[in-house]
Formats: sequence, C-alpha cells, structure tokens
Amino acid sequence: MSKVVEVSPTTRHEGHTKLVLKVNDEGIIERGDWLSITPVRGIEKLAIGKSMHQAPKISSRVCGICPVAHTLAGIEAMEGSIGCEIPDDAYLLRVILQCANRLHSHALHNILTLPDMYLPGTDTHINPFSAEEPVRSVALRIQRLREIGQTVGEIAGGEPIHPSNPRIGGMYKNISPRAKAKIYDLAKEGAVLAREQMDFMITVLKDWENRPTASVASGYEVEKNEKFGFHDQGYMAVDPLYASTNLDADPKWYPERWTEVRPWDWYMGEQEITLDDPNYPNHATTPAGAKAWPQMEACTAVPMYDGAPIEVGPRARLAIFRNYDKKGAMGLQIARQMEYPDCLYSMMEAVDALDTSGSVVADEIPQGDGSLGWAANEAPRGTDVHLAKVKDGRVQWYSLLVPTTWNFPVCSRALEGAPWQLAEVIVRAYDPCVSCATHMMVVDEEKKVVAQKLVQ
Amino acid sequence: MVLGNYKTALSARSTDADILKCSQDGGVVTQLFAYALEEGIIDGAIVAGPGDEPFKPEPVVAMSKEELLAARGTRYTISPNMKLIKEATRSYGLDKVGIVGTPCQMQALRKAQLYPMGMRSVPDKIALAIGIFCMENFPYQGLETIVEDHCNVKMESAVKMDIGKGKFTVYTERGAVSQIPLKETHKYEQPGCHVCLDYVANLSDISTGSVGSPDGWSTVFVRTKKGDDIWSKAITAGCFETKDIASVKPGLDLVTKLATGKIDKNKKTLEERATFGVGKGLRNPYI
Repeated sequence: MSKVVEVSPTTRHEGHTKLVLKVNDEGIIERGDWLSITPVRGIEKLAIGKSMHQAPKISSRVCGICPVAHTLAGIEAMEGSIGCEIPDDAYLLRVILQCANRLHSHALHNILTLPDMYLPGTDTHINPFSAEEPVRSVALRIQRLREIGQTVGEIAGGEPIHPSNPRIGGMYKNISPRAKAKIYDLAKEGAVLAREQMDFMITVLKDWENRPTASVASGYEVEKNEKFGFHDQGYMAVDPLYASTNLDADPKWYPERWTEVRPWDWYMGEQEITLDDPNYPNHATTPAGAKAWPQMEACTAVPMYDGAPIEVGPRARLAIFRNYDKKGAMGLQIARQMEYPDCLYSMMEAVDALDTSGSVVADEIPQGDGSLGWAANEAPRGTDVHLAKVKDGRVQWYSLLVPTTWNFPVCSRALEGAPWQLAEVIVRAYDPCVSCATHMMVVDEEKKVVAQKLVQ
Repeated sequence: MVLGNYKTALSARSTDADILKCSQDGGVVTQLFAYALEEGIIDGAIVAGPGDEPFKPEPVVAMSKEELLAARGTRYTISPNMKLIKEATRSYGLDKVGIVGTPCQMQALRKAQLYPMGMRSVPDKIALAIGIFCMENFPYQGLETIVEDHCNVKMESAVKMDIGKGKFTVYTERGAVSQIPLKETHKYEQPGCHVCLDYVANLSDISTGSVGSPDGWSTVFVRTKKGDDIWSKAITAGCFETKDIASVKPGLDLVTKLATGKIDKNKKTLEERATFGVGKGLRNPYI
C-alpha cells in the first residue's frame, strides 16, 4: 500500500516549493511531485504595452540571484524582435557580466548544498556556519568567490543585483582602462580559488555518492538507492556559456519544438497525506490527514521540448557540448562544479578582447514591427528563454521560459526510486530558483504547438 | 558652530603656477586632488568639468591632472556632482573616490555613506571629500540672464565670474570688467538654496573658499582625521604656501559673519514654511 508524505516547505533553495511524494512500504518514492507554491507575479502580462526598455528591467526583478540572465535574455529578446545588432564591445561586457553572475551563483549554491554533505571520511555533516576548520576556510573561499563575482558584475554590469548597464542596443557605458585591469586582476585571483573550490566540492560530492546511507542535514540516516536521482528525460542547452538568439546565423533553440501544458496535465490529482514524520529535520512534514492537490496548487506551467520535459542546467550544457555522461543527482552537482574555471577563463578572455574606447551602443535602434524575437540565455540554472514581440517600441507580447520551469517536471521524475527522506537532496541538485520559475501560465487547452500561435 | 567642526583653519594657496593660472582663488581643490591622485590617495575625483555651453559645468570623473585642470574656476550654476558617485565605483572601476562639492553635495555624500539607499559599494570607497563654501547657487538660465542682460557680457566672452564684496563681477577675455550689485541677482537664486543651513561645507574632510583670505588665496578648514592626514602630507610635500588665519585680513571674523547671516536668514525661511498656508504648512526636511 502506498502512502503519501508531504515536505512543505522545502529549504535551502531559492523560492517556495513543496514535495508531494507517493511512497511504498519501504519509504521509496513511487511517484513524486515537486511543485512551486510561490505566488504568481504575472510579469509577462503586466509587461504588455510597456516600453521595450522597461520590460527587461522589470523581468530582472523576477530573481535576485540570477537577475543577469533575465536582464540579458529580456533585452536580447527585444533586440531579436526589432532586429538590432549590438557592437562587439557591448557583447563582450555582457559576456563578462554573464560569467560574473554564474560564478557567484554556483558559489552561493555550494553554501546551500554543503549541509547535506559530509566531511570526507567522517560522519560529520558540513556546517558552513561553523567557525572550525576545515569548514571555515571553505566558507571564506566561497565568500571571496562571490565577492569577486559580484564586484565584476558591478563594474561590467553597473550593478550586481539587477544590472543597470545593459540596454536595448548594447550597454549604457563602456568601462575605463582601470576598470578593465581590475576585472582582470579579480579574475586571476578567482581562477585559483575556483579551482580549489571545484576540487573540494567534487571530493565532497563523490564521498557522498559512495556512501551506502545518508541523511538530510543532521537528520537520521537512510539507505540510498543505486540510481539516486536518475531520470530518462533528455537535455537542452544552447551554449556552453552565454546564449543564442533568433538573430544568430545558426540559432541553437527552436521555438517550434516548444510546447507548454498546464500543471493539470502533468501533476497528481488530490491526495490525502497518510504518512508524516515529526522528526524530519528543521521542521516536521505535513501532518497526516491534510490534503494536497498538486494539479491545482502548482504555480508553474510545464514547458516541454519535443513533447517531453527536458533537463536544463550545468549537466545539460556539459552533456551537449562536452559529452559529459554522469547521471543522477551527484552527476548534476559535479557538472555544476566543473563550470567554475570556465567562468573565470571566459571572463579573462572577454576582458582581454575588450576595447575600452569602443562604442557600446548600436548606431540605430529600430522600433520593431511586431515580429517574434527570442533569446535563450544560459543562466546558472540552465536555458532561460525569453520571447517577445515589439512594435513601435512597445511590448506586444512577452513570455519567459525559465530554467527551473523546465526542470520542475524532470526533477519530479528523478525522485522516483529514492528514499523520500532524501528527496530534498535531489531537488537541491537542480539548484532550483523558484521565483524565477513562477511566472505566467500560458493556458494551452488543446496542447497546440504554442509556437504556431506565435508565428501565425 | 556656524563654521562646523574643524581641526585647523588657515589661509593657503597652491605652489603650482600651472594650477594658479586659471584657478578661482588659491587653487586648493585642484592642487589637493592633483596631489592625492599622484600619491594614490585617490584614483579619481568627481569634479565639475566643462559642459557643452560656456560656464555650464558637467560632472566628470577626472583620472588625470589634465582633467583636473580643465575643471578649475567657479561656475555659478548647478553641477550635479553626486550623480556620478555610484558610477565612479562601477564602470570607472575606482576604489578610492575623491569628490568636490558644495555644502549640500557634502551632505548628500555623507547621507549616502550612512544610509546607502541604492548605493551599494559607495560608503567604503570615499577617500577624500572636499567642500567649497557656498552662499547660494543659480540655475543656468538665471546665470545667463545675470551675465548677458545685467552685466551686458556675452557668455562666450566671459573668462571668470566672481561674487564678493556685495558685487557680482564678470571678467572678459578682452580685459573688460563688468560689475553689478548682488542685490540684482537675488531673484535668480535657486529657491532650494533658501533652506540651506551650511555655508562652509561643514561635512567635508577639507573645505575651502575665498571669503576670509586675500585675493589669490583661499581660506581652508581641515576638518576630519582623513582630511588632516592628507593636508599635512600635502604641506610636507610642498604643495601649498600657508598663512596663519589670524594674521590675514579679513580673516575668520568675516567668514563667521557671513555664515551666521546665511544660517539666520534661511532658518527664518524654514520657520515660515511651517505656517506657509492657512492652517497648514510646507515640508521641513530637517525634522
């Protein structure tokens, strides 16, 4: 007889979600639903009628961890719609900003991950707040990596949280030669730290993977399964680092392959909670007798690619562009660490190529005729696609397909076979960013190809 | 405390002939920034650089002595220097920012340091704040009217403007001098200046102005620990000639008198705002 257990809210990730898990007598998940319960803010609807300059600054406010992704994807979707090519030096500044944001985001996620992990060779969970070594040095290294990321973002992007420098047609300002040197120095320092951090994290993650049992934070130990966090969905990524847009000679994302369905079609129906655990770490699980209704409660639409949910994020990028083939929750975590060095080396390459006296704004910025433009930015958590139609400088239509939105159904599938007590470890492997994911639903009753509606 | 807190007051002028050539008074601001830039005390300074119209300043981040020299001289109109305070720490990549400004701009700076609303990274990057004495300011159109209509001088011909001894004076490049009583300029003053209670930039690290010292010299107040440190280094480096303020005419008595006059007059304006309407008043930012 299967039972239903609910973890609500989940912790140590961005935003507000819960897990509704159908488990067998051994506590192994038979079907898991991981869903957003973050209130919908409706960015896409309120953007309609606003100027193309304002809408991306609003969508930046979707998330304060990856505002760079939303700012750049938003702006580049508008540029894609109006057909505006930006100068090289503006592009380089955007690449630097992208690298800086990914660096800080991955480092931040380390802090969220570590409490699940053990000091290698011991049974002690890592508490990043501990003043004791070796954890203290790791925490300081993470802080410095984030400081480097945010400082570079501040210089190249005007502001690390909600960057002010990007604009339709390029950037508002180029940087001074002094600022260029400063970015280079910071990247050099960061490259050493990032490599140390990557090695440390991979050691810790592999140690976790090789353990027969584990617990969430300081909870009780349960036996893990062999294929912890495996799923059979595919991967989607458009670039190892930056982005692809409809203006590219060879675009890497295909609107016609994208469909979107309502949670109704994907999630479980109404459930009664029949299993509870007052000793679950941090807070108890939902008491038995309560009701959960994932179909109705989920606040995200379910986007699909080629008719199926698809994983996005660090592993998808490495799988597509570097033949990375490690599966499971730790496969995803390790892929994330492997992206560290590229953030710094790409930053250095871009800043090296930057001409600080070059123009950073296009000579001509068309006002748009309502054609569809899209930009797919490789946010820290995966492909962040913004689609827009701009006419006479105003947004006519705007849609956000955000990494965690893609990952919600994939991660739900990846929960199957795992002990429910470790479900949050799988969720965290996706580095979920739920306020990102919770945007506006495109209700698509007949499961039509939404792109057909766009192209019309 | 009409002159604010200070460690020392003195009369000074730069020893650099290049700086003095076009400086308004003793070249104190330009010389201090030039010295601080050379010594790495600052790596750039926000100054009022040349704008696109004569005597219309445009705030710039000066990162070389040439840019500092281009900002010499008083422009009696608004230069929103604080608009660059955040940008200086962003695309300019500065770690140690210098800034010059009127008393109100020094207030804005200190407020940004203590209450940084949307001012991330700014508070700890301010290395040197130089304040200039200020009685009042004019909008650009007001200044144009004063110079072109009251003084009968084309803006393009003016090389220097000066307010002192109750007169507004314009000097032209052809050597003519045009002078009007300051009374004529009152109606062109920026209304916001009428609630200002600071004459000698009380919140700066070092403040300077013409009043109290002879022509070609500046009165200087060294106020903060930071200001004192930089000032004594600059003196040791031979940047300035100095005189004891007690030995110069008209000296601090006049400064005190003018400061008291400004503060008393504007305090009255502030008080009047409380009962401006019938049964209601206007806002007072100090309470």
